Amino acid sequence: MTAFTRISHSPIMERGYIFNPHIVVVMDETLLADAQARPLEDLPRGGVALINSARGPIFSEDQAGHVFMRINFTDPALRIIGKPIVSVSAAAAAAKLCGLRKQHVEEAVREELSELGVRDELLEKNLMLMSETYDNTPRYSIKVDEERVGAVELVDPASGRVVYSDVFAAGNAVHRATGNWRVFRPVVDYGKCTGCKVCFIYCPDSAISLDAENKPVIDYEHCKGCLICVVECPIRAISSVREVEIFA
Amino acid sequence: MREVDMLTGNVAAAWAARIADVDYIPAYPITPQTEIIETLASWISQGLMKAKLVQLESEHSMLTAAGTASLSGARVFTATSSQGLLYGFEMLYNIAGWRAPLVLVNVSRAVAAPITLEPDHNDVLAARDSGFIQLHAEKCQEVLDLILIAYRVAEDHRVMLPVIVNMDGFYLSFTREPVYIPSKTDVEEFLPPYNPPHPFRAGRPVVKGAAVLGGHIYAYFKHNIHESLLRAGDVFKEAAAGFREVTGRFHSPVEGFLLDDAEYVLVVTNSFTSIARKAVVRLREKGVPAGLVKLVMLRPFPSSDIMEKLRGRKAVAVFDQNISPGLGGVIYNEVAAALYHVKNRPETLLSAIGGVGGKYTTVEEFEHVFHMLMHPEKTQPGKPVFLFRADELAHVQTALRLAGYTGEET
Amino acid sequence: MLVLRAFHKVLGPNVVFVNAAGCLTLLQVYPYTPNKSSWMYTAFASAPAGAQGIRDALDILMEKGRVNSFEDLKVVVVTGDGAAYDIGLQSTSGAIERGLDFYYLVYDNEAYGNTGFQKSGATPYGSATATTPPTERNPTGYTGVKKDLFEIWRSHKPPYIATVAPSHMVDMLRKIETASQFKGPKLFIAFSSCPTGWGFDPSLSVRISRLAVECGIWPLKESVYGKVRHTYIPTVLKPVEEYLRHQNRFRHLFTPRKQETAIASIQEQVNNYWLEAAKNEGFRITVAKPVTIAPP
Repeated sequence: MTAFTRISHSPIMERGYIFNPHIVVVMDETLLADAQARPLEDLPRGGVALINSARGPIFSEDQAGHVFMRINFTDPALRIIGKPIVSVSAAAAAAKLCGLRKQHVEEAVREELSELGVRDELLEKNLMLMSETYDNTPRYSIKVDEERVGAVELVDPASGRVVYSDVFAAGNAVHRATGNWRVFRPVVDYGKCTGCKVCFIYCPDSAISLDAENKPVIDYEHCKGCLICVVECPIRAISSVREVEIFA
Repeated sequence: MREVDMLTGNVAAAWAARIADVDYIPAYPITPQTEIIETLASWISQGLMKAKLVQLESEHSMLTAAGTASLSGARVFTATSSQGLLYGFEMLYNIAGWRAPLVLVNVSRAVAAPITLEPDHNDVLAARDSGFIQLHAEKCQEVLDLILIAYRVAEDHRVMLPVIVNMDGFYLSFTREPVYIPSKTDVEEFLPPYNPPHPFRAGRPVVKGAAVLGGHIYAYFKHNIHESLLRAGDVFKEAAAGFREVTGRFHSPVEGFLLDDAEYVLVVTNSFTSIARKAVVRLREKGVPAGLVKLVMLRPFPSSDIMEKLRGRKAVAVFDQNISPGLGGVIYNEVAAALYHVKNRPETLLSAIGGVGGKYTTVEEFEHVFHMLMHPEKTQPGKPVFLFRADELAHVQTALRLAGYTGEET
Repeated sequence: MLVLRAFHKVLGPNVVFVNAAGCLTLLQVYPYTPNKSSWMYTAFASAPAGAQGIRDALDILMEKGRVNSFEDLKVVVVTGDGAAYDIGLQSTSGAIERGLDFYYLVYDNEAYGNTGFQKSGATPYGSATATTPPTERNPTGYTGVKKDLFEIWRSHKPPYIATVAPSHMVDMLRKIETASQFKGPKLFIAFSSCPTGWGFDPSLSVRISRLAVECGIWPLKESVYGKVRHTYIPTVLKPVEEYLRHQNRFRHLFTPRKQETAIASIQEQVNNYWLEAAKNEGFRITVAKPVTIAPP
């Protein structure tokens, strides 16, 4: 999922996709390694990759001159709101980098969330989260190169034959590693497990298979962390653990 | 042995489906097409034809079933008109996008509101952007012939697109004309069996119609339809040559009549072409170098044939039996675009709109169009001329009065 | 998802799923598919007609000797409740009337989920949706009734209809197996708890389904040629509140103030249903007490 925002004092003569961002907010650091996502593809020299991460230095730079800023959005959200909903955190951090003042961010968050029906205690928690993230985001002055207008190469898409939009590669979705959707991972305690197979039956993504002893084997490449197995295990042999691994 | 019989356009269409050995006929009744499916139902019930005819509960469902059956490897025939075509309209784009070859006979009928039964071409022309190949018939023989040619073109692996064959309601659908019915062996020689590359079968899983997210991927597939449609024009000519070998009858995307030295030419489609022919003959008798161009193929639009037949003419009129309100005639605008870059294009390009709602267009009205071509100073360039007679207008005024319409604002 | 998995397990790989627009449509996004079977996306209103085309084509081609019986496929329509209860009801009725030999699996999440959870014909009384939001002036959310699709289908007297729920997998698998012995329409309505739309943690998906069955909100039953039998009797109905209170789409019935009348009316509907069913089939049931409101 991607979204784009342009902020300017002068009239904006563009629309839609941003190909030369000053800031890319990466809400899920596992996307950095995802072949389909490639979030940093168009980041110019000097541009900032603002990454939701619990580890690594706050500031770093790579050989291409990209600036990496790592801030933990998820765990404060879990602590303050109780759910990994990080939109206000990302907004606060990005706004600070743009030089917007905290009171304006607060006004914006209040208005947006109220329109969505978020009120009272939940609204205050979001504002608290916003404020903490804003304060924790260091100030930084972004310097990117002037936008270069490149030449475009047009080609004829004609192929000379009928091209069908059918999908012939049955079951090829298995190549999409959706395990990086997880915020929590289920872990089986094989000492307790009786091999009742309830978890296997209830996994909606077919991410649990059975080994030779009928014990569950979780496919962590595809487990999305819905945690139905944790809830349904009759003897609570599956626990849920905060997911912090990056998928290589 | 060649059989000739007096057949209505509807029955001719049914015969084409029968000798093409179609497998599946999803059906839904609508005037003036219903005789087609009644005839087929009767034949199948008597064991004269081995096919499955199933009545669906709406044209939208009918067209859906037609498309998925084709994707399952069945040769599909279906028919509708006007309101039915429009009711199932989204499916036309789907069927083309699925690359499901089939033949859909449209028996043209003017579109509600007001609701009516007589023919014009607003229904079939609305489908011109759907990705269907479009063929229009002047005579009942052509209805049969074009359906057979349509199967061969549609199922060709270089094309793989559906075809609409249009015939005018009443003027063709319920009019009997002499029709030669090709023999089974002739048809077998001309039309190979339907053999799509990836039909639904156990052991060969395939996903059809999956969502495509990503403009460039969608655009690529859509462009492929366009490319295949353009190729279909050449495949049609190939097929027509083969058809002539087997039956002796020749069809081409654009046909000329008394065209050789014609200075004044009328472009026309469908059954009223026959009336226009008479006008041309009468004018020739009076020494006027008049000629006629009939469009058989509307999609792919036969630009090069049009350019070739109309270049160097003094004045050309396009007769549209349709109207795009706020613009004028549909075919006029397409012909004009084709002629724009032609160096010696006609000095005058006139738009004549008539026959809307099936309004009968007399020989005199067609002759009148030619008179306007000969005296272009009396017309406004680019502004469509409506063929509407004084006596007809008087009749309308009487009807309005009888209906209690006073014309006074309240 | 669980239901789809169950169907696949019982029916095997020689299946073509015919789908109409809905949440599950996006299981396939070009060029990926999770299916090892075939899938046909049709149009919103006409999945049953699409199924008709495939079934008829395979039948006539087998009859004409152009396709072998081992190449035959089972045809399964898969749609959400939007397609089944509303826009596709017409084509479903037609397919049942024609005795089409197919399966129909409806995943019922009680709204148009794919487009952001707007009300559908399957939305129950009291539910908040994007087009029936609870406000000061209209505090209850949706004030209409959930269409009884089971009864609409049953009036056609098809060979087999069943309601299923992912919390009761044995019941579901048995029903799919029972259905497979019939030729003709075999129709399923599956309770599909939707974390995003209903507002609860995904881990509770199966638990919510279990509550729906235990509170009597989602009766598990089957109909064979029109004759109904409940396959699971919740002998002591849990109060509907237990089911409603865990879902954000019903939260407005509890805060800022508890809407006793609305909740009581839901309870009463559930009670009446089960008392009637008990009478018809001769089983015993204890209904939950509706909350009574003392007059002011």
